Amino acid sequence: MSPKPLSDERISSAVGKIQVWRGGQGEALVYLHSAAGEAAATPLLEELADSFDVIAPMFPGFGESEGMDEIDDIEDAAFHLLDVWDQLGLAAPAVFGTSLGGWMAAELATRNPEKVGSLVLVNPAGLYIEGAPVGEIFGRPPNELARDLFADESHPFVVAADQMSEMANLKVEPPFELMRPMLQSLAATAKVAWNPYLHNPKLVRRLHRVSAPTLVVHGAQDRLIPRAHAETYAARIPGARLVDVPGAGHLMSLEKPAELAGLVREHVTARG
Amino acid sequence: MRFFSFHLMPYPALPPDYDGPAWITCPNALFDPEVGHQVYNRYLDELIYAEELGFDGVCVNEHHQNAYGLMPSPNLMASILARQTSRVKIAVVGNALPLYNPPTRVAEEFAMIDCISGGRLIAGFVVGGGPEYYSFSMNPAQARERFYECHDIVLEAWTSDGPTEHIGKHYKLRYLNTWPKPVQKPHPEIWIPGVGSLETMEFVARHHYAYMGIPYFHVNVFERTFRMFREACEKEGYQADPMQMGWLEPIYVAESDEQARREYEEHFFYFVKRLLPGINVSPPGYTTLRSYESMLKGFNTFAINLETWDQVVEGQYAIVGSSDTVYERLVENLHRLGTGNLLGLFQLGTLPAEPTRRSLELFAREVMPRLRKEFPEGDKVLREQAAVA
Repeated sequence: MSPKPLSDERISSAVGKIQVWRGGQGEALVYLHSAAGEAAATPLLEELADSFDVIAPMFPGFGESEGMDEIDDIEDAAFHLLDVWDQLGLAAPAVFGTSLGGWMAAELATRNPEKVGSLVLVNPAGLYIEGAPVGEIFGRPPNELARDLFADESHPFVVAADQMSEMANLKVEPPFELMRPMLQSLAATAKVAWNPYLHNPKLVRRLHRVSAPTLVVHGAQDRLIPRAHAETYAARIPGARLVDVPGAGHLMSLEKPAELAGLVREHVTARG
Repeated sequence: MRFFSFHLMPYPALPPDYDGPAWITCPNALFDPEVGHQVYNRYLDELIYAEELGFDGVCVNEHHQNAYGLMPSPNLMASILARQTSRVKIAVVGNALPLYNPPTRVAEEFAMIDCISGGRLIAGFVVGGGPEYYSFSMNPAQARERFYECHDIVLEAWTSDGPTEHIGKHYKLRYLNTWPKPVQKPHPEIWIPGVGSLETMEFVARHHYAYMGIPYFHVNVFERTFRMFREACEKEGYQADPMQMGWLEPIYVAESDEQARREYEEHFFYFVKRLLPGINVSPPGYTTLRSYESMLKGFNTFAINLETWDQVVEGQYAIVGSSDTVYERLVENLHRLGTGNLLGLFQLGTLPAEPTRRSLELFAREVMPRLRKEFPEGDKVLREQAAVA
């Protein structure tokens, strides 16, 4: 069966209208995207929709979601997710978050462990680990950043980033409509992640609160977030497992969709 | 027309083999305190000299962690000027409000300068440049809302009898009661510099403050910016006064056009190629999308992209020449822009002390009096047909 595209839906929340990509049937699986704002038309989610009711809410400021002005820190993000859960009638779905979305998933799972049935964290942000700094995502030339996000330099994302940088070098103004999503995503990310940079100092001391069966996935070639972060999540969350994916960079959702879908399916269905 | 001498206080001694940014991460091992000692004193002398030459005011500004301008605290400079001058306006353009915590610091220090100078302060407020949000690790996505809140606090401190209370989103001040208060009532003249963001123009227009156009773009960009500012004032139901606008521009005067260019060009390009790199970072959320889209048109005219002297002349990035040439170019541009304040940058980049003083003298003696005649204070500066063309 060939994968079906997810449908583009809207729900209301306290901060405004929220865009939700949704498709498939079965157990609810919530996908929380990274700072790249990926969700629409990602083969990963389309494939998972074969086995799950895949629900991918766009965080305020990303895609068509409103409400960025109402979000000031990661606590606001966690409370916003509670609203999303209520609006969608979710009790304790499987939650699968990557990078920024992994951090948000961990914030929710530490504060409201009963709201998370099972948890997959892929190259999650959220921690500060001395000696293992997270790479800079703000203010870098697109070509340079893209190389920290992907193991494979021929990935279309990297090629597109190279083209954007080339335009800057040639002093060609890129069309605003091309820049808008990137400007918007980075601004929305900055609201929660500028300082402290991509982490919540309190989170590490709360990870023992997570009660869901947890899988932590680390891209072996993640050049943005060092392995020590995945290790710490796995060590602090009771019973968590850590899996390394060879040949995968930071944005594994885009780079290794089939492998990741396999890991998620196995972890979520093996529960209980 | 009012005439101001504006100083950036640049670091003139970056080593020739350093080709990195002048901002945020420019290694501070490159800073030589002996050079610092010399240039601070020399630059202050140049500002003090402007009073002697008949300028109406002097300007200093605030930037952090960079070689472009050595004034992390313009208020220190302004307090020295308050003592060492007796007549000129002292414009601090401005204090980056969100970088002061609590922002009552600004109300206090500005009031001190106004008291010491006997009411000669012009109070400038800025959001802070993009690089400052890196240097201070301040959240750029909250820059504007912080700026507005800080502004309200400073104005409250100056215009209300305390103690009052300010409980806002970013600042909770239970006893707002600053000492001292400014001499000027209800408060000093307020200037806000801007690069063209719509929110800043609307804010300045709404409060009837003055808008200062930040340089380093093609003059067409300024023309559009000041036109948009006038429109913003019209939307508030009034005609902008020329005194509500200021044009900041590098100026150099010598005996002849040829001599002026010969003496000036390399120092200008040190400024453009060595001190500007890194100033143009735009951290996430610092500019709203509507302003970004509006400003995108001018981005490529940013001075950092200049390669030839012809481009400098064509875009009016600096007004350089004999006193006749400088006079004519200024008249033409002022008619196009319509600003009632001219803020001249007489020292720029590595321009040494001697030519800086000579240029100031020539400007004051041979250009300023003619411009005062051409643009009597209170008269309209804009020439409509020029603006349409």
